Amino acid sequence: MRRILGFLLLALGLAWAQGDKLKACFIYVGPIGDAGWTYAHDVGRKKAEAALPWLETRYVESVPEAQALPVIDRFVREGCQVIFATSFGYMEAVLEGAKKYPNVIFAHATGIKRAPNVATYMADFYQVYYLNGLAAGALSKTGKVGYVAAFPIPEVKRHINAFTLGVRAVNPKAQVLVRWINAWYDPAKAREATEALLAQGADVFAFTEDTPTVIQTAAKKGAYSFGHYTPMLKFAPDHVVSGQIVHWDVIYMDFLKKVKEGVYTPKNLEKVDYFWLLEHKAVEMGADYGVPINPKHVPLLQKAQMTVGGRKVSVHDRIMALLKDMQSPKPTFDPFTGPIQDRKGVLRIPAGKKATLEELLTMEWAAPGVVGDWPGEPK
Amino acid sequence: MRWELDPSPSPRKVLLTYALFLSLALLGLGLLFLLYGVPPLKAYALLLSPLTDTLGLAEVMRRTIPLLLIGAGLALAFRIGFFNIGAEGQLLMGAVGAAYVALFVPPGLWSLPLMFLFGGSLGALWAGLAAWLRARFGVNEILTTLMQNYLVYYLVVYLVAGPWKGQMVFGFLYTDRFPPEAQLPRLGDTLVHWPTLVLGMVAAMGLQVLLFRTPLGFEWRVLGENPEAARYLGLKGGRLILLAALLSGFLAGLAGVGEVAGIHLRLLEPAQISLGYGFTAILAAWLARGRPLGVLLTAPLLGLILAGGDALKLALSMPFRVVDVAAGLLLLSFIGAEALSRRRPVWRR
Amino acid sequence: MEEALLRAVLFGTPLLLAGLGALLSERGGVVNLGVEGMMALSALVAFAVGLKVHPALGVLAGMGVGALLGLFLGVFAVSLRANQFVAGLALAALGLGASGLLGKRYEGVPLPNPLPEGILAALALALAFGLHLLFSRSRFGLYLRSVGENPKAADLFGVSVDGVRYLALALGGGMIGLAGAYLSLAYRPSWTDGMTAGLGWVAIALVILAAWQPLRAIFGAYLFGLLFFLQFRLQGSVPIPSEAFAAMPYLLVILVLALSGRARAPKALGQPFDRGR
Repeated sequence: MRRILGFLLLALGLAWAQGDKLKACFIYVGPIGDAGWTYAHDVGRKKAEAALPWLETRYVESVPEAQALPVIDRFVREGCQVIFATSFGYMEAVLEGAKKYPNVIFAHATGIKRAPNVATYMADFYQVYYLNGLAAGALSKTGKVGYVAAFPIPEVKRHINAFTLGVRAVNPKAQVLVRWINAWYDPAKAREATEALLAQGADVFAFTEDTPTVIQTAAKKGAYSFGHYTPMLKFAPDHVVSGQIVHWDVIYMDFLKKVKEGVYTPKNLEKVDYFWLLEHKAVEMGADYGVPINPKHVPLLQKAQMTVGGRKVSVHDRIMALLKDMQSPKPTFDPFTGPIQDRKGVLRIPAGKKATLEELLTMEWAAPGVVGDWPGEPK
Repeated sequence: MRWELDPSPSPRKVLLTYALFLSLALLGLGLLFLLYGVPPLKAYALLLSPLTDTLGLAEVMRRTIPLLLIGAGLALAFRIGFFNIGAEGQLLMGAVGAAYVALFVPPGLWSLPLMFLFGGSLGALWAGLAAWLRARFGVNEILTTLMQNYLVYYLVVYLVAGPWKGQMVFGFLYTDRFPPEAQLPRLGDTLVHWPTLVLGMVAAMGLQVLLFRTPLGFEWRVLGENPEAARYLGLKGGRLILLAALLSGFLAGLAGVGEVAGIHLRLLEPAQISLGYGFTAILAAWLARGRPLGVLLTAPLLGLILAGGDALKLALSMPFRVVDVAAGLLLLSFIGAEALSRRRPVWRR
Repeated sequence: MEEALLRAVLFGTPLLLAGLGALLSERGGVVNLGVEGMMALSALVAFAVGLKVHPALGVLAGMGVGALLGLFLGVFAVSLRANQFVAGLALAALGLGASGLLGKRYEGVPLPNPLPEGILAALALALAFGLHLLFSRSRFGLYLRSVGENPKAADLFGVSVDGVRYLALALGGGMIGLAGAYLSLAYRPSWTDGMTAGLGWVAIALVILAAWQPLRAIFGAYLFGLLFFLQFRLQGSVPIPSEAFAAMPYLLVILVLALSGRARAPKALGQPFDRGR
């Protein structure tokens, strides 16, 4: 009898534990491809689920913007308590859904509008791009660095600018040639854009596109490149110098833990905005996890020199010093510290000032050294 | 053994053939689900689940609207031999026209009618161009309309990234939100912009009447069924085709107006505006077998397949491609059944 | 300049291969709108075999899958005499969908020993000339053309209309499969869902641009490849929006066709053959 009771209690306990799980649901804008934005979010989701035993997750991929609200409806009906919307384009749907379901917690990636039950979050690469830019400036022999870019939106423009500032810090005469492919995912366009840049003399590459195409193409011609979003070293072990890697799981776990502990409720998210950078470990500089600079290229970067405050230092040491600084809890360096003029000579960030979060999120101007079409460039 | 035409198949035979092909498709789908570790019965139920609640029905209806408008026009165009596969581009042109009126014409009661008129006209112009190129230079309209899709795509990107980019969009690729006068009313808190739905039903019925009850319709049908006879009768083929192209482009344009004024409320990145309606509507038009009225049935059917596929990927966290596979298999089964039911085997050579 | 010509050939090659494949069956009277899906599935199978066994075998596997899909389309377009346009569209969806579902595990895996693009490009060129000879010099070419122009007459002369059409679909499918294999084993040696990115649709347009002539298809494919490359080569060097450059290939294709005059499609194109009618 006692045994049966024990079983019963155990079963009840299990059922209780099951019912007590926090259900978090993810809306992805693209398919979970091999390397890009959605893939990285999915890696974050899986890591969070593996690390937090009380967490249950669901996802739906390739949700067009117009489809987001009906998806939210369904998710809420299936008992989702936290909904992560992972694209800027979901903003309207998230705000509308949040009004409709005031007891559900929403978190909107790259978003800029919040509500009592809507938080925003972003893991941003601009610091990493600056560091990669330093390396690119040192490695380019032609002084022409190629950048294959997806769409002309502030996030991409911010990254190109940070990258270019880095390139110019090492080689003040260098140019960053930008080519827009007007697609987040299009291997054929990425390939031909890279070929075009190669033909124009670019010998180092960075990009924003969801495949390793740029890396593979550049490597064929012996050109260096920087991975984007996920570790891409394996696609060209001799030519990927470094890159940007995201850790969405850091944000997801922090957020979900605080929901579980009751720190975040559907009433107090109005001010919750994650704009997490190197210091929060939400992003990493590297060709692969734990490989900030491909060991094969370290000697090259050690030999390369740049001037910092009138003093000559090796580019490698500068990168590592800044990386350490920006990873520390109280960073002193920021790439967007004035005075910074845009390429037309307009002062964008005054001397001694750092770009504000809003300025970063709505960046439209082009840094000096950027060469190429720049849709939406301020007059 | 050969298959020859069966001019009047019995209803029982038709039904049996459809049942046979449908079960073949379901069997194929079921195997796929098993491979994915999903019980097939549960998956089938999910595929039909949009029919069981208001939320699902709203989703079906929302997809029906553009399919209805475009499908009715395409049913006409295909019938007379104008293979317009550029409805996607004509839809985008409609969206551009709507956005122009919404953003640059002072808002008022006239906003919505003007948007439909202007958007529809741009769509008509776009399809008309293909018809004109065919009449004047003999350029095949399949190629023209397909290439035109890409042209509008980049036009829209240019507009939202450049001159029409909104002041309130934080640098992202959108125009500003349309003023309230330029937004279509919706049914309750669903995304069903009902005025466009009404337009679609009127269009399907109107085209049906035009095609089967008027002299123009007679000329169209002659041209479609027997171009030789049309020439013999002295019909002006070029003009008839142009007219049909303009009509189908106009309707696709209206669908574009409905999408931006009813759902997005702004012009945005082109890949987000339509969910491939221009291509899906080709199937709606074909399933209706050249009768615009038939689209009233086939558009919701395709809407159900799309909404059901979405329910499937959402409920089971399956890859989005499951929608394509389900749609492809079900369509092939319809096509096969339709073809086979009109045939009978003959056991001699 | 040399660079541009090289890109024209290397980007034009998958278009040429897929275009030739579609052209072959169209000369026999069967429209194939399933190219995009056929390419997608062959690209996946070619990659899988190339990764596990050998890239050369991957090419064969890709061609095999393409040929099988061509025969599958034949069941509907030839035997059942269903609407060819719609059957093709359904096949495109099915192929894309199936490749996406089956290929998940191959995503993010680099191919260690990719195939040289040059060899496949040369093969594509040879195939174009081969098809030209096949159409003009061989008995099969005669049958194929007669089946595409006047199946009733061909049938009266004892040509098996259905048989010829199936063969054309299978051979054409093999070429479309080769195009898919070129993409995943040579052009961009790894596999991702949707990597055909609309090339299949451009290939269908290419058939029309080429006026159903294999040798003109070479010109058309390379022209498109050149324009596609130039949009990036010229972007930024002239004060014209990048979107205008991106639209250029598609606009010029229309212009070229308008200026090159009327092209005549095979008479029986898209029509199922019925002996009794």
